[in-house]
Amino acid sequence: MSIVTTTRAAERSGSFWRRAHLTPYWLLAPAVVVTAVIVFLPMLQAVATSFYDLILFRPNASRFVGFGNYIKLLQDPVFWTALWNTVIWIGLTVPLQMGLGLITAILLNREFPWRGLARALIIIPWALPSVVIALMWRWIYDPNTGVLNDLLIYLSVVQGAVPWLADPHLALYAVIATLTWQGFPFFAVMILAGLQGIPKSQYEAASLDGASPWRQFLHITLPGIMPVLATAGLLRVIWVANSMDVIFVMTGGGPGYSTHTLPLYAFIKARQNLDFGYGTAIAVTFTILLGSFVAVYLARTMREVEK
Amino acid sequence: MGLLKKFAAGLAVAATFAASMAIGSARAETVRFWYHFDNPANPMSELVAKFEKANPGIKIDAENVPWNSYYDNLYTALIGGNAPDAAMVKLFAQPRLVEMGALEPLGERIDAWPGKADLLDNLLELNKGPDGKQYYLPVQYVVLYLYYRTDLLATAGLKPPTTCEEFRDAAIKLTKAPETYGFGLRGGKGGWDQWGAFVFSQGGALKPGGLTNQHAVAANQWVIDLFRKDKVIPPSAPNDGFQEIIGAFKAGKTAMTIHHIGSSKDLVAALGDKVSAVPVPKCGNGRWTSYGDESLAVFSSSPHKDAAWKWISFLAEGENNVAFNSATGQMTVTKSGAKDWKLHERRFVDATVDSLPFAHVLPQNAATSEFVNTAWQTAMQRALTGQITSQQMMEELNALVAQ
Repeated sequence: MSIVTTTRAAERSGSFWRRAHLTPYWLLAPAVVVTAVIVFLPMLQAVATSFYDLILFRPNASRFVGFGNYIKLLQDPVFWTALWNTVIWIGLTVPLQMGLGLITAILLNREFPWRGLARALIIIPWALPSVVIALMWRWIYDPNTGVLNDLLIYLSVVQGAVPWLADPHLALYAVIATLTWQGFPFFAVMILAGLQGIPKSQYEAASLDGASPWRQFLHITLPGIMPVLATAGLLRVIWVANSMDVIFVMTGGGPGYSTHTLPLYAFIKARQNLDFGYGTAIAVTFTILLGSFVAVYLARTMREVEK
Repeated sequence: MGLLKKFAAGLAVAATFAASMAIGSARAETVRFWYHFDNPANPMSELVAKFEKANPGIKIDAENVPWNSYYDNLYTALIGGNAPDAAMVKLFAQPRLVEMGALEPLGERIDAWPGKADLLDNLLELNKGPDGKQYYLPVQYVVLYLYYRTDLLATAGLKPPTTCEEFRDAAIKLTKAPETYGFGLRGGKGGWDQWGAFVFSQGGALKPGGLTNQHAVAANQWVIDLFRKDKVIPPSAPNDGFQEIIGAFKAGKTAMTIHHIGSSKDLVAALGDKVSAVPVPKCGNGRWTSYGDESLAVFSSSPHKDAAWKWISFLAEGENNVAFNSATGQMTVTKSGAKDWKLHERRFVDATVDSLPFAHVLPQNAATSEFVNTAWQTAMQRALTGQITSQQMMEELNALVAQ
């Protein structure tokens, strides 16, 4: 009885409403504080660092150079090579992963014996650590002892061993193939979940109306999984763009600069050459580029999905 | 009463024990030590146990850091204020470490150390810092030489090459692509020391203008031609590192390669008597091979410098140093250890010792670290794959040295 009275009293005074209004903020605060401290603060610090000529093993020679690093960046041919490689890297890997994932999901959505096992096994490439995958594929591609060349020579597809990772025209695509293999299960699982959310009755109705399987795919399946494709695609673009561990282990960015992507170039400059000023300038530039891409993507796809 | 006395006595014993424990733990110093061993059968824990037994007040926390990112980790740890007390270090890193003020001078400690007289001649001189001070205590060494397959050379009616001309000739005759190639070149990370045998011997030098003179450019062109024109090097060379060149040599893919005694055990296990070694060929009028050093250093940031020094000097003494080298497969730095050396077959020790007269280290300047770490390989890979010419490669590297 007394509780009720107090609550009513609080309601009357309005402080209850004020408190209820604040609750979401209180609940969000820990996450916001942590994100601010471990994500936004270092980001701001990186932006500040990029205005300095800072080589870590010469801390005393550090000086403010304003946009100096950015001007140097625009004149650096390696930057443009790395930018172009990044475009190919994202532009090929994500659609390939998505396509392969879509086919896998459609297959896994059919009834067949041992389907449960197949669904579990398909996730393995995604579950393996990137470094393990990189080392594994490095040996698969090895021209002297690797299994891929053996197989291709045996099948008479090629005459001699192909140096997959040592040829500047092939290396990037060889690494893309590896990453496609690693990432497609993610799409497969996401799309499979989407497929299972499409009501069976829609297909039944369509087939009664005489729609071919292709038309059913185009007008029922695809719209049904569009939200999943849009979200998973966005996540993958961001992950693939930033992932450099597989490239680093497989080629170290070589031969020459032929597998340098921007995040890898930033890493090599900052961590291996200890040139933090220039390295962060590359990273900040890439963040801006990727951020603008994501913004455009979100604006367009989300509008499509909501239609 | 009797019971009470016993209890009191027990309490006293317990108190004394607790007190002595407290003093013990207050005095125990922990020395953090970084090293890199490729060998999975790692005897470091035995050395640590032996040391801790002899020095009860000191604990050693030894960490095996993977080689490929060893220096990246070390520099970042030093800058981040989380450096170990002591570590294994190579000469090419010394100028950078000195510039950072990260190294503790060891001159006085080495002079007062009884093990000094047992060190092989000239090693301390070779290890001196760019400012003339002594920061490094040598712990092992190797010299690069030429490995060759005795059976393949015999079948082709060839003798181990002694000059660059003979080397190229042998490599061409030994190449039966795609099954066998004459020479396994390391075009990826760490391959500069193979390259040095062909280029630094013919007038190339890591100093301003030292790489762009016509002899150096021509020598570099000669190496590129081995790959592009003569095709005596496997096509994978631009991306090949240590694992790949040794793997290819063991598998019989290559008939010759350049590495040091550290891989001899592994190669003998795979090939037996079919592998032997000679010093690298003489090219032009000169001969150059890389003296592969490994030393120990104490960092200036360490709060336990005396304990750290005790530990590293322990590793450089007679039998401890032999135990250390049995793990790395390299050569001891002590006279007493070298006298009765059983770790390697005689032929590899001979090839090492015969190479010492023309073994060199890279000049100690700040550009050396970057040359070794990243610059050489990105330039070489592009030259090997035809993206830049020999002249452009040398100019690019010269720009780094001239900075």
